[in-house]
Amino acid sequence: MRRLTDLFGRSPFEPMVEHARKVHECVALVRPIADAILAGDTQGLRDLQHQMSKTEYEADEIKDRIRANLPTRYFLSVSRESVANFLRQQDRIADDAEDFAVVATLRTIHLPQELHQDFLALVDKVVQVSEQLLAVSEHLGQLQKEAFAGPDTAEVLGQIQQVCHMEWESDKLSRQLARRYYGMDDIDPITVMILEKLSAALRGIADHAENVGKNLRIMIAHR
Amino acid sequence: MLTATTVFFALSLVIGFYMAWNIGANDVANAFGTSVGSGALTLFRAIILGGIFEFCGAFFVGANVADTIKGGIVPFEAFSDVRQLGVGMLAALLAAGVWLNVATFFGQPVSTTHAIIGAVIGFACVAVGPGHIKWANMGTIAASWIVSPLVGALLAYVVYRLIIRFVLRSRHPVYMARQAVPLCLAMVIFIITLSIVCAGPPKLARLVLSLPLAVVLAALTAIGARMVIHRYTRNRRIRMSQRYVVVERWFGRIQIVSACYMAFAHGANDVANAVGPMAATIQIFGQGYVAAKAAVPSWILALGGVGIVIGLATYGYKVIEKVGKRITEITPTRGFSAEFGTATTVLVCSTLGLPISTTFVLVGAVMGVGLARGFAAIDLGVIKRIFASWVITIPVSAVLAAVFFWILGAFL
Repeated sequence: MRRLTDLFGRSPFEPMVEHARKVHECVALVRPIADAILAGDTQGLRDLQHQMSKTEYEADEIKDRIRANLPTRYFLSVSRESVANFLRQQDRIADDAEDFAVVATLRTIHLPQELHQDFLALVDKVVQVSEQLLAVSEHLGQLQKEAFAGPDTAEVLGQIQQVCHMEWESDKLSRQLARRYYGMDDIDPITVMILEKLSAALRGIADHAENVGKNLRIMIAHR
Repeated sequence: MLTATTVFFALSLVIGFYMAWNIGANDVANAFGTSVGSGALTLFRAIILGGIFEFCGAFFVGANVADTIKGGIVPFEAFSDVRQLGVGMLAALLAAGVWLNVATFFGQPVSTTHAIIGAVIGFACVAVGPGHIKWANMGTIAASWIVSPLVGALLAYVVYRLIIRFVLRSRHPVYMARQAVPLCLAMVIFIITLSIVCAGPPKLARLVLSLPLAVVLAALTAIGARMVIHRYTRNRRIRMSQRYVVVERWFGRIQIVSACYMAFAHGANDVANAVGPMAATIQIFGQGYVAAKAAVPSWILALGGVGIVIGLATYGYKVIEKVGKRITEITPTRGFSAEFGTATTVLVCSTLGLPISTTFVLVGAVMGVGLARGFAAIDLGVIKRIFASWVITIPVSAVLAAVFFWILGAFL
């Protein structure tokens, strides 16, 4: 009967995964931007920042679409708040990634050679956190189908633990980098300011990724 | 010699049969759509099983509700000329049939049950006045329309929570799923046995007497099923990653049982929509008299059952296929929960002689599974539409029946 199929609203999980992918696309741009910073490629940074803004805007569009398609008459298998919370935190990840891109274009800095390794290590770790988070989000639809009781659930909970662990590692790397550049005597103070802003954005990405993970854990466990 | 009586007799046969056909063509899909969609049953097997169980339900338990529609709403004594009653029942059948077709054409969810009850009330109001309608019975019926989807929802919710708690989240889900098969079979057998035995009066005495029989039958079925399953699964090992899939496959097998159960319950309740009024008209125009207390004859029930089966075979299979393709959200565990909740509610109501809408109970049961967080998203807007169609159907079919009664009465 038509009436029986009408009962099923559109699952929020597929667009949520779509949003997660788009947000990760933003974060994935962070590494090329970091390379451009090291190379001092001003034009490249502008192009990348432009690309970042576009991707971030697309993520926003997906977010708005999910919110619009989630009317109160829909009865969801997860709480409405956790969906909203998920979107909010994901949105902040994209915002921080964009921040990173914008700060990088403010001034073409000349990063001292001895900072390169630590800086790239931090960038890579943050991108990894986001990658791991995406792996978790990709599982959402399948988890729901298995009533959050299937074998995937344990695996996903483990992955979330990984996200949290990696965030902690990225924090350590960030501290290490800060000690390095604050400890340098011959560094340009403005470069330090820019570096400070850049690592704040990176820390933000990792923090919000961890929040998304924790939020998903609640979504899975709170049943 | 073609008299009005002969024409009316033939007409009531044709329309009653058409109603039965309609029920088979459109409503059986709800029972088997999910099983076909999930691959638990082939379309061909669904039609065979659906046909058998619809017919059995109609034949063995159908009399309860048919009696209610035939004599539980309008008292026969109120009619000075019994042929008036015959014309009225014919008008009710016509009105319900017409309204169903119109509503289906506009894609509105309309219950056959609501249409036929509304139509019976409609002609009775015109023929003998509203004062003669047994409003106390009507009150019970109306209450059952509201309570039955709620009960269906509650049952489905509880069953699904139990499955999550004791099967999906247990240490050995596959083992537990295998144990669930005999248990579910036993429950279905138990309730069906009770409903068949309690089909006639006195209900309470029959219930007490049939309890041991039902228990024994259920236990035997469970033990038999347990032995068969044990024999075929003894040496099978299942990898962790496959567990969930295997559990769903086992529930796919149980879902075949629950689909049959649902077909049985549906036949038991909905055959009355065609057969109840038809029984009255056939007796009146065929024999010239009708006894209010006499039960609906078996051959008329069989006729209704055959109508449903033909509806299923000639058109219903298309609907089943369509429904199966579209409802991909319903996995076997969820489908079983919803079907079990629906069928139990409908069958109990059938045994009590309450004409209810199977579809609405099913909608309630699906909501119940949703309430247990079984589905990604459920559109609650459907409830509003269903309620609206429910409110509209009764007065519309009542007015239609009154008009047909007036027209047909002119030929009497």
